[in-house]
This record gives sequence, structure tokens and C-alpha cells, in this order.
Amino acid sequence: MKSSGLLFAAALQSAYVTEGAAMPNVPAAIGNRPTLVAEDVHKSFGSFEVLKGMSLEANRGDVISIIGSSGSGKSTFLRCMNFLEMPSKGRIAVGQDEIKVETNHKGRLVGLDRKKIDRMRMQLGMVFQSFNLWSHMSVLQNVMEGPVHVLKQPKNEVRDRAMDLLSKVGIAEKHGSYPSELSGGQQQRVSIARALAMQPAALLFDEPTSALDPELVGEVLKVVRQLAEEGRTMIVVTHEIGFAREVSSKVVFLDKGRIEEQGTPEEVFRNPSSQRCREFLASVL
Amino acid sequence: MDFDAMRDAFPKLIAAVPTTLTLAAVSLCLGFGLAVPLALMRVSKSRLLSGLAYAYVYVIRSTPLLVQMFLIYYGSGQFRAFFEAAGLWVLFRDAWFCAILALTLSTAAYSTEIIRGAIQAVPLGQVEAARAVGMSGVLQFRRVVFPIAMRLALPAYGNEIILMVKSTSLASTITIVEVTGVAKQIISNTFQPVEVFVIAGAIYLSINFIVSRAVTVTEIWLNPHLRTERAIRSTTAAAIH
Repeated sequence: MKSSGLLFAAALQSAYVTEGAAMPNVPAAIGNRPTLVAEDVHKSFGSFEVLKGMSLEANRGDVISIIGSSGSGKSTFLRCMNFLEMPSKGRIAVGQDEIKVETNHKGRLVGLDRKKIDRMRMQLGMVFQSFNLWSHMSVLQNVMEGPVHVLKQPKNEVRDRAMDLLSKVGIAEKHGSYPSELSGGQQQRVSIARALAMQPAALLFDEPTSALDPELVGEVLKVVRQLAEEGRTMIVVTHEIGFAREVSSKVVFLDKGRIEEQGTPEEVFRNPSSQRCREFLASVL
Repeated sequence: MDFDAMRDAFPKLIAAVPTTLTLAAVSLCLGFGLAVPLALMRVSKSRLLSGLAYAYVYVIRSTPLLVQMFLIYYGSGQFRAFFEAAGLWVLFRDAWFCAILALTLSTAAYSTEIIRGAIQAVPLGQVEAARAVGMSGVLQFRRVVFPIAMRLALPAYGNEIILMVKSTSLASTITIVEVTGVAKQIISNTFQPVEVFVIAGAIYLSINFIVSRAVTVTEIWLNPHLRTERAIRSTTAAAIH
């Protein structure tokens, strides 16, 4: 099963790769199992229920955009997928691993398994709104940190791969710089390289351009678009409606903690069935 | 002012500098070693651990170091039977041990609060980034939280080092012959306190000058981005002039 997955991955690579140097590290598919499943995810902060049962499935190569007004639970939903927020209830599955969380009658979460959470996180690259590069490490160290210290891969190998990734995001010449010396757009591109260095099964983007000056948005979107073209599995929480329409294979519209509308960009943007979604699109387009 | 007396006192006081430095260095190292786990207790979710660490910090910070030193050195004599039974009397009858213990306990308490503050000031986003790549709790601390916290703590900790260098003078009250101890000895022979204490003060001043420069250099070394900021500052300053 695994070898056929590898073959498939190799075929995908040759089909998508345009530049020889930076080969994307598309991980082996596990049969027909979806890359990432979130099922019936609930999340409450105190008595306020932010997520009222959301489900999402990402298959290999899917680019799913999550849109919605602020406070609709987009980021919370995304952060539940790698347990940066602990869901109050629900099931998350990444590759072979899955976790079912429930809140017991005492209000305690049951079903969490630290080791398994760490393993699932290793398979999900995360790109944050505010970049969150480690300020005490150079650009290259930031990219190498995970593979070397978490995955325990040999340093030399990782350094080569990290340099390839940095040239792929167009920032190789800055590899010795520190995050505070870079512009927001440059920092975000480094953080994308950092996420890619872990060779994740899927990438999670939490509003990757929201903290950027308008003229820097383009350079980051260009990189994200390139990743989409390579066939990487991605879930993108975004306010860039035009971008979502252009690169997504699927668009999900959230409202008040529920999935209000989902479908191909065509379906959601051209012909939304829900009233809320029509209003939202009218206000942002 | 009797400059001859000053000239006589100078080499004697300089000869005591290693004692002062040893007291400061040993207690700072031991104190730091205690402060890191204490700071972790302070930030832990366990009420008990956090409470214990805070109680320690509270007691030590709220009582004078001199009193603590007296209690340890003279007070232990009152419980000699107990210490002998515990096999600890060899330690407690030694003024050096008592001085270093008192200084260590003191700096540990202050450093605990400095490190706790620094740990809590580590940007949450950077910790989340560490979590997101699948780092275990220990790895997060070792690779991200601690290194960043140390950089944040350094200016305040530099202050603590300077305070400790000065606090070693209290050890002279329990028979340790460091710089202040030597000064007192000379004065009891010459009755020239101004000359001798001016020299002693100048010696502390010089030590702390070196300490504060070393802290600044370490700060720049640990924060490479400060180097460029400083470079920019100095070029803009040059441009203004």
C-alpha cells in the first residue's frame, strides 16, 4: 500500500514540479484515506460556543479555503486541527493517527494523548498570521530546527533541504539574517519554508497575509499559489477572497460557528445558496 | 587625605579581590542553578509547587541578607547537637560555607523572580510555533522558551550580579576576610577610614564596571539583531552630527 502511494507521489512530483532544484516533498498517500479529517468539532470558551460541530475532510492535493467574517470561528477551527486549541469534542485524524476528544461531566477533556498530538503536529505544517519565527535563531536555523531536533534528521541533509526551500521561497540570500531584520513578507516566506521543512502531509495557513502591509501580500500569495500548483494539501484561513477563488479546490464559508456553505469556488462564489454567505460575499467583493 | 596610607592599603585590598570574586561567583552559579527550577515551580500550574516557590522567594526577599547570614552562622551554633547528629556540623561551623549559603539563598530568590518574569514574557506565538512542529514540553523549554527567556532576563540579571558583588561585603561580618574585611582590619590599625574605604569603594566600582560591560557584551552577542540596530543607531547619530 505504501509503495503504491510512493509511486503515486513520484508521479505527482514529476507532473507538478517545474523547477529541478527544489523538489516538493509530497508524502506518501495512505491508501485512499483522507490526509486530514476533522469531524464534529466543538469548541467552547467558557459558556460561549465558538464551534458548534464542524466537519471537514482534506484529501491529497486539496486546497481548502476557509472564509467567513471575524468571530465566525475560522482560526479556532484551524487551530483545533493541530490541537493548538483543544476541541471540547470531536475527532481529528491525520494520516494513521486519530484522536477523539470529549468533555466529561466534570468539564475535563478526555481522550488526549500528548505523544500522539505531537506526532500529528509533525505531519501538519502551520503558518501563523504573525509568522512566529523564533527570534533567537537565524533564518536557516528556524527552518532546520524542526527536522533536526524533532525529527532527529541528520544536520547536513537538513541544511541542504533547508537551503533549497529558502531559495524556493526566494529568500536564500537572507539565510544568515535574524527574523527582526526581515520585512513581514520575508518573515512569512521563511515561516512557510519552516513548515515545509518538516515534510508535512498538509499545511495549515492561519490568515497568512492579514498582518502584512498591502504591498507585501503579493509575494506571500505567490508562494502559496506555487504550493497549490505543486499539489500540496493545504487548508487556508483567509480574507483574500480573490485568492481563495483562484487557487482553492474547495471553499468553506463559516458563520457563527457553523459551516454555512461549502463547495467548489464556482458554487460558493457564483451561486451561494445561503443568505448569510450572499451577504458576506456582497460585503467583501 | 593621606596618600601614603592609601598607597599602603591598596595592595592589601587588591590581594583580597579573589576572595570577593570567589564568593560572588560561587554563590551566583549555585543561586542560578536553584533559581531555574524554582522559576519553573513558580510558573507551574500546580498550586502547591507555585506556592512553595513563592513562599521561599517571599521570605528571603523580605528579610535582610545580614540577618540571614547571622542566623545561619551564629544560629546554627545553637542547634549544634542537631547539626552534629545530621553530620552537617563540619559545614555549618565553617564561615565560608555559611557565607556562600546565605548569598546563594538570597540570589536564588531574586533570580527566581527575574527568570519567572522572563519566562512569562516569552511571546506565546513563538511557543505555539514550537508546539506546532511537534516539540515535546521539554524540547519546547530547552530550544525556545529558555533561550528567549535568558535573553529577556539578562539586563535584570546583570543588575543582580552587581548587587551580589556588593553583597559579598556582608561576609566580612562573619569573619571572612574579603575586600571589606581587609579594609576593616587595616582601619583598626591605622584609624584612617576615609583613605581605606575610598580605595575599597574604588575596587568595587572597578569590578562592577567590568561586570556591567561584560553583561552588555553578552547581551549584544546573544541578540544578533541588536548589533545591526546599534550599527544603524550609530550611523544615524553620525549623520545627525
